[in-house]
Amino acid sequence: MNTVNKKSELKPCASTYGNVLTNLGRSNPDIFVLEADLMKASGTRPFMEAYPDRHINLGVAEQNLVGVAAGLAAMDRIPFACTMANFISQRACDQVTISVAFNKFNVKLVGCYAGLSQEKNGATHISIMDVAIMRALPNMKVVVPSDHAELAEVLSFAEKDTGPMYIRMPRVLPESLFDQSYRFSFDRGYRLREGRDITIIANGISSSVAIDSLEVLKKEGIDAAFIHLPVVKPVDEDIILEAADKTGAILTVEDHSIYGGLGGLVTEIVSKNRSAVVGRIGLNDMFGLTASLDFQLNYFGISVENILKCAKEVLISKKNIR
Amino acid sequence: MEDKITELKNTARQLRINTFKAITNAGGGHYGGSLSVIEILTVLYFDIMKIDPKKPDDYERDRLVLSKGHAGPVLYTALAMRGYFPLSDLKGLDKPLSNFPKHVDRLKLKGIDASTGALGQGLSIACGMAISLKQQKKDNFVFVVLGDGELNSGQVWEAAMTASKYNLDNIIAIVDRNMLQIDGSTEDIMPLEPLKDKWKAFGWTVFEADGHDVECLHESIIQAKKSKGKPNVIIAKTIKGCGVSFMEGKWQWHSGAIDENQYKSCLQELGEGV
Repeated sequence: MNTVNKKSELKPCASTYGNVLTNLGRSNPDIFVLEADLMKASGTRPFMEAYPDRHINLGVAEQNLVGVAAGLAAMDRIPFACTMANFISQRACDQVTISVAFNKFNVKLVGCYAGLSQEKNGATHISIMDVAIMRALPNMKVVVPSDHAELAEVLSFAEKDTGPMYIRMPRVLPESLFDQSYRFSFDRGYRLREGRDITIIANGISSSVAIDSLEVLKKEGIDAAFIHLPVVKPVDEDIILEAADKTGAILTVEDHSIYGGLGGLVTEIVSKNRSAVVGRIGLNDMFGLTASLDFQLNYFGISVENILKCAKEVLISKKNIR
Repeated sequence: MEDKITELKNTARQLRINTFKAITNAGGGHYGGSLSVIEILTVLYFDIMKIDPKKPDDYERDRLVLSKGHAGPVLYTALAMRGYFPLSDLKGLDKPLSNFPKHVDRLKLKGIDASTGALGQGLSIACGMAISLKQQKKDNFVFVVLGDGELNSGQVWEAAMTASKYNLDNIIAIVDRNMLQIDGSTEDIMPLEPLKDKWKAFGWTVFEADGHDVECLHESIIQAKKSKGKPNVIIAKTIKGCGVSFMEGKWQWHSGAIDENQYKSCLQELGEGV
């Protein structure tokens, strides 16, 4: 069983995204990097300097960004198109749907500054439904990495994989959340902690908070398992069903709407043929705020305290049902 | 050359008849905007484009993005007549689970370079293709057929700026300027004029052609291919529903259905059997 590291400092994802793509671009002449005037946020200036003829900046025009990426993929090139997660999933939604997903073009869509990591940019910029939108699209794979090491592995995987993929990339992530033995695999989720009472499931920036909550839960007498679920589509259904069987209670944690994202996904799977209680932490029919990441995480309940509170509630429901 | 033009005229006549039959067999459809692009696709598929039906996936081919995806029946028919698949396959048009959905689907048929149907998206895809060809130093062309109604869409102009920024002279866009869209005249719904000036202002070289004159279209495309440094657009003046007198110039025939008697008289008018 993998274990998790102690609290790791949050660092901008731009450095990893820019560096990994620059490295991949060196060995693979088909990689293109596409921007919509947010190179500063994505960190791809090194790629532009190294391979100017494969770095395309479309300006503030996200629909066109996605369409041009589709055209490059039609020529068997490998475009990584990045802009803020809200814009790539919302403003360019029809282009992502038709030009990319319906065409099944090999486009890598990267939503940067995803979720609450937009901080003070507030509701207009905080993506609260990108996972829900992308997950609903046929042919689209969806990955939500939780630390820099995992982000790097996801990007390397994306280069080799064929077909549309969405990668949710916050502004910041912990450098290293998991121990050395952890290796990202596209095919599975990870039970990083065993437990009998309840299973906490998280991904993205929320995995770090969920991990922090495990010791507190233990102190409160709650024996919680933890599943880290970076790939939400195609999802490892078995690990979720197994969690329902083993603990009969699940709590999901995400900095996203509780509708259609990780919480929605887990609920859909469990409801197929299991009787387990699922609690969902995330944004409940609300827009993001103009506030720091810490403030917003606390406000929307993505905190150790709220995980403990919700876990207790879920356990009461579980007891009442059984 | 004269023989070639005569041959293209005959091909266009046959393409119009076969397309008309396919749409009618499907129970009706987008007659108007299909009949207006007949000569455009004739000249592209039977004259200009570097393609080989025996090698539909050949990387060294020219590409076509039918941005007005609702003219799919014309593209299907052109591909069939060009030898990509039997003409009899067109019976599948609009039938459930067939390879001939109303709007073109590249995953279902060889010869379709991009699935389209949501208007306004084709020119961006063409830009991506053309950027790749330039970067690979290949001399193939990317042709894009745009409806005039879809020029309402902002994405078209985002893509127009992109083609200009990257000097994509390997793109030749052809606007099917039939002056009509679903709800009425393009100039009533959302005025496009001065259209030539708009394209020029976006950095394009603009040609104008009679969109139903194969010789004129041929000449314009040859000129556009020679024109370097900037992307090229041909504004092809066309008649919506061209060839069927009661449909011609009527926005009401953007799409619709006809009865058996109309079908027979239309075929006669289109020169079936001549």
